[in-house]
Parts: sequence; C-alpha cells; structure tokens
Amino acid sequence: MDYFQLMGFSADGWGHDMLRATGMTVAVAFIGFAVGLIFGCLGAAASFSNAHALRLAAAAYTTALRGIPDLLVIYLFYFGSSSVISGIAALFGSQGFVGAPAFLTGALAIGVVSGANQTQVLRGAVLALNKGEVEAGRAYGMGPLLLFRRIILPQAARYALPGVGNVWQLVMKESALISVIGLVELMRQAQVGAGSTRQPFSFYLTAAGLYLLITFASGQAFRLAEARTMRGLRRGI
Amino acid sequence: MPNVVRAAAVSLSGIRKNFGPLEVLHGVSLTAHEGDVVSILGSSGSGKSTLLRCVNMLEVPNSGNVSIMGEEISLDQRPGRAPRPADPKQVNKLRERAAMVFQSFNLWSHLTILQNVMEAPLHVQGRHRNECRAEAEALLERVGIAAKRNSYPSELSGGQQQRAAIARALAMRPDVLLFDEPTSALDPELVGEVLKVIRDLAAEGRTMLIVTHEMAFARDVSTRTVFLHQGLITEEGPTSEMFANPRSDRFRQFLRRDGASSH
Repeated sequence: MDYFQLMGFSADGWGHDMLRATGMTVAVAFIGFAVGLIFGCLGAAASFSNAHALRLAAAAYTTALRGIPDLLVIYLFYFGSSSVISGIAALFGSQGFVGAPAFLTGALAIGVVSGANQTQVLRGAVLALNKGEVEAGRAYGMGPLLLFRRIILPQAARYALPGVGNVWQLVMKESALISVIGLVELMRQAQVGAGSTRQPFSFYLTAAGLYLLITFASGQAFRLAEARTMRGLRRGI
Repeated sequence: MPNVVRAAAVSLSGIRKNFGPLEVLHGVSLTAHEGDVVSILGSSGSGKSTLLRCVNMLEVPNSGNVSIMGEEISLDQRPGRAPRPADPKQVNKLRERAAMVFQSFNLWSHLTILQNVMEAPLHVQGRHRNECRAEAEALLERVGIAAKRNSYPSELSGGQQQRAAIARALAMRPDVLLFDEPTSALDPELVGEVLKVIRDLAAEGRTMLIVTHEMAFARDVSTRTVFLHQGLITEEGPTSEMFANPRSDRFRQFLRRDGASSH
C-alpha cells in the first residue's frame, strides 16, 4: 500500500481518522486557549488590583504554573479529578477507576497553564497603554465600562496580539500532551496508526504537516488581526 | 458687561491637594464667571496644572469645594483615605460641561481625527451619529484641519493635533474649556496656529481657564489673571491691571524674568 492509499479516504485508508483527529486537536486547543484567555484576563486584572491579596494570588499563579511541567499539570488534573469522580461513583456502588472526561480535563489543564502566560502578556499590554489617552477618556466623561470598551481594549489589543498569537501556538503544541490521558487527537491518532501499520514515518510526518498547516493558517489570521489593530500607530519608528 | 451680574461658571474654594506627604495646593479659591477667560500663571511646580485638574476631578482635592455651573461636586474627603468623588456619575456629567485640552494632546491614537471628535458626543452623550458627524466636520473646518479628518493623530503635526484636540473639546458643547499648557509641547513655529484658534474662541465670549507659559498671549487674551506661587494665589485681578501694575514682588519678578522670552 503506498502513502496515498494509506492516508486516503477509502475503507482501509486512515484519512478520515487523521482528519477527525486534526479537528479534535483544533477543538481542544481552542477551548484550552479560550480558558487561558479568561484566566489571563482574571490574572492580569488581579495583578493590577488595589487588594494586596489579589496581587499576591496573581503572582503565585503565574510563578507556579510557569514553573511546573505542563505534563505534570495534565496528570494532576486528570488523575485528580478522576479520583474525585471515582470516589463519588463508589458512593453509588461502583468499583474501581472511573476516568474523568479526557477532553474536558485536558482542555482545562492547558487552559490553566496558558492562562499564566496570558496573564504576563496582558499585563504587558496594559502597562504599554498611553496613560494620557486613557486620562482623556476619563476627562471626557467615560465611565469605567465605556472607557474599557472604547479606549483600553482596542489599544491594549495591539500590544497584546503578538504575544497572544505566541500563546496560541504554544497551546496548539501543548495539546499533543493531552494524548497521554487517552484523548484521540492528532498526536494520539498518529501513534495508533504508526503502531498498527508499522509505518511510523508516514504517520508522524503527516501529523507534523497537519500541525504546521494549523499553525501557519492561524499565524496568518493573527497577522491580519495585528494589521487591523495597528492602524494609527506611529509609522516609521 | 460691567453692570450685568454673570453666573459663576467655575468656582473653587479652599482647595487643598496632597500628593503623599507633599501638599501642593494650600487652600486656593478661584471663581470664573461666564465669559471670563482666566489665565493661570506661575512657575513650574507652583501647582497651576494641579489646580486646573481639580476642576474636572482628574485630581480630587483633599479638602475644598468645586462647583461647575452652579452645581457642587459632592466629594468624599474623609481623613485618612484618598479623597474621591462621592458620585462618579455626577463627575462624568460635569466633565461633559468642562472639556479639557491637554498639553500632550492625548488624542486617541487608534481613531481617526474625525472619530476622535465624534467619540464623546456619540458614545458619552449618546447623540445621533449623523448630527455628531456633521458637527465634528464643521468643527474641523473651523480649526482648519478638515482635510485631515480621515488621518490618524500620528500622521499630523503637533499643531494640527492640538487643533484637533480643541475640536474634540468643542464637540462636547461644553460650558467651560480647560486648557492645560496647550502650547508647551509644540515646536515654536507651531505655537501660533494653536494660539490663534484659542484667541478666536476667547473672542466669542467662551468661558475658559488657561494654564500657560505664553505671557504675551495671556496678556492679550485673558480677562482675568491668577498668579500662583508655591500652591497659593499670590496675586489676581483683571489682566490689564495686573500686567500694568504688578502689586506683589513675586509676580513682578515673574514678569521680569519672562520679559526676555515673551514675544
């Protein structure tokens, strides 16, 4: 069987499986990224808070999550929540191990990890804001919400987007780690295919190509978004 | 209008302002009536910008009262904590009536000049978009930069940016205009175009408070002058009298020192 039959869409080709796994990778990475963005916003907001405890919590969060291997966090989330679920199941008479849903725990785990990075990116973007322009918003009668929506968000976006794009690429690659808890995403699917057909190169190279395709396409999307938010920024400097 | 009783547009009384342990205003009172053009003069560090920023609560005084068009801003000045407005909504309403022009322009860099001028009327005051646009275009025409309406602030010279900022202030239909050293960040050759716009506004009888270093301009344009020294008003009065017969030594010194540079 040649490569194209192997990766084809006929009954014994792996095309459908690989595509479905690619979709799963994008989905889990996207959810993880979105969760990370929420954690990042909360972390950045906490880091600018007047309350000492909140600032401390934000610092502890970024320090801890950026200092622990991602794989360990994934295991922690998976086996941690599995043991809780198993415990609950035992109350209802079930015996043995009940696994937590891999998609959910995996996405949450990389979300929490990437949230630590997002916190730093968003903090930097807020620090880069021109204080005079924010002050002008206040001086012209804008309340906090309007000020955030009309001035702070569009301005912070242009400083944050390059960093946010980097975090997305990291999340994309980290999603491969979720294969260890049994989620059939691209990495796991390639392993399965390689193992059962004994053609590891075909599967791993195909997976590599698909990962590259996703990061390339999303890189282009971020570039477009950056061009849009950079409008009005001083040229030639 | 010597015999007409005019209402107080801005009234500050007993303003004290601390930055940490440092008190920069030691109890300043100042009233600008409708139609007054008040120059606030003083060397740097005298507290003149801080005083102006107390009018629209960009700085909240530690004690003292501020009224705009007869409405007093209610403040929470309990000792031992940072002073703040008791009602942020009231402050935002009053900020619409006292529009500020900043030293460094502070136009919103992500919006075009036209969008800058339309922003507050449209989103803060909730006026109709077409009306805001028509008025913004007329104002840009008036300050002479209609051709730049679709440019971004970074594409304009300092003088053009400051004129756009004045149009942005006027678009709020304010009762009072606050100018915080409007020409201090400009190259000398661009100062004139901005002063001309402000001069025209003064000639229409607008109420304005102007913190400035341009002595000749202050003498020409303002009806009243206030001289601030180390956080206190040392001298104030009708501009022509004050410049012709300075009473205090401080102000006399200030005028003499500036004599070389005024034009």
